[in-house]
Amino acid sequence: MQYNDTVRSGGALWWLLHRISGLYLAVILFIHVLVLHVLTKEEITFDVIAERVSTPLWKTINISFLAVALAHGLYGLWVILDDYVHAGWARILIWGVIAVIALVFVVYGSLTMISFQYGG
Amino acid sequence: MAMITFRINRYNPDDERRGHYVQEYALDVCKGCTVLDALNQIKWEQDGSLTFRRSCRSGICGSCAMTIKGVNRLACETQVLALKSPNVTVEPMRGYPDIKDLVVSLDPLVRGLLAVRPYLITKTPPPSDQERLQSPEERARLDGLYECILCGACTSSCPSFWADKEYIGPHAFLKAYRFVADSRDEGSREHLEALDDKHGLWRCHTIFNCVEACPKDLNPTRAIGELKKELVRQRIG
Repeated sequence: MQYNDTVRSGGALWWLLHRISGLYLAVILFIHVLVLHVLTKEEITFDVIAERVSTPLWKTINISFLAVALAHGLYGLWVILDDYVHAGWARILIWGVIAVIALVFVVYGSLTMISFQYGG
Repeated sequence: MAMITFRINRYNPDDERRGHYVQEYALDVCKGCTVLDALNQIKWEQDGSLTFRRSCRSGICGSCAMTIKGVNRLACETQVLALKSPNVTVEPMRGYPDIKDLVVSLDPLVRGLLAVRPYLITKTPPPSDQERLQSPEERARLDGLYECILCGACTSSCPSFWADKEYIGPHAFLKAYRFVADSRDEGSREHLEALDDKHGLWRCHTIFNCVEACPKDLNPTRAIGELKKELVRQRIG
């Protein structure tokens, strides 16, 4: 079956972005483990986490983590499916579903983070 | 000497109804005897219809690449007793169109190879009084790249090739990098042009099957990594 040219994975820029996003995820995960499980001496409770998450810095970190994780993971999924799905209509459908999932989760997650308030 | 049963995957295009089937041949095998020796003995003494490619019997021509006990190897470099099994399965290499018995069509291999322009491309005229010289260091960069014998074992073992029969293939990537890494070559854009494609470099997922399959112990995956970096440099700067 012939490949359809409409949508496809690959390209130098996408390959590079996938590596950079992977590196970013590794750094953020390291910071997460360091802050939460090494530097936090008190007992981890809802109050402790909520207070931290309500700060602008952590909101920014969490939103960027969500966006980069979704982009990295869903692009990886698309790269795998790209190998096996060759029919044009199916490729467009899968690409569309992946794009919608990414958009919905980024918007929903970002709104949740931005509107999150704790305490005073 | 040991009695070994060879289970050979057979196929006759003139008998499509029968399709692929396994035929067994028992053979007394001596120490040092290769799978190619055994196949020759079967063909000469037991069944003249058994079909396979062979030429140099020295691991140079790549003709006798086939799947032996589930692994792509050269029949002429594989000693039967070293497989340590009373049963040896021999199949044609996977992924290529079957022609007959152990013979496959290597058209996809050649197509991928030609796509990367597998030859030295120069733009400046050669020196009038000497060859295009390389330093020993520049020459050493080609070690592990030039030795490929184009047997097709790597591409046959590659899941990306199984999924896309127009995939250029690790053999061609290794060959492309052999020229991109050559200090005398001035055509890296031409070699890389076909690789930045839906059937090209980006379909490699670093599975390493090609490295395990190579009977010459070469490393196409490393070459692919270098080519990806080179393409990023060219496209993004």
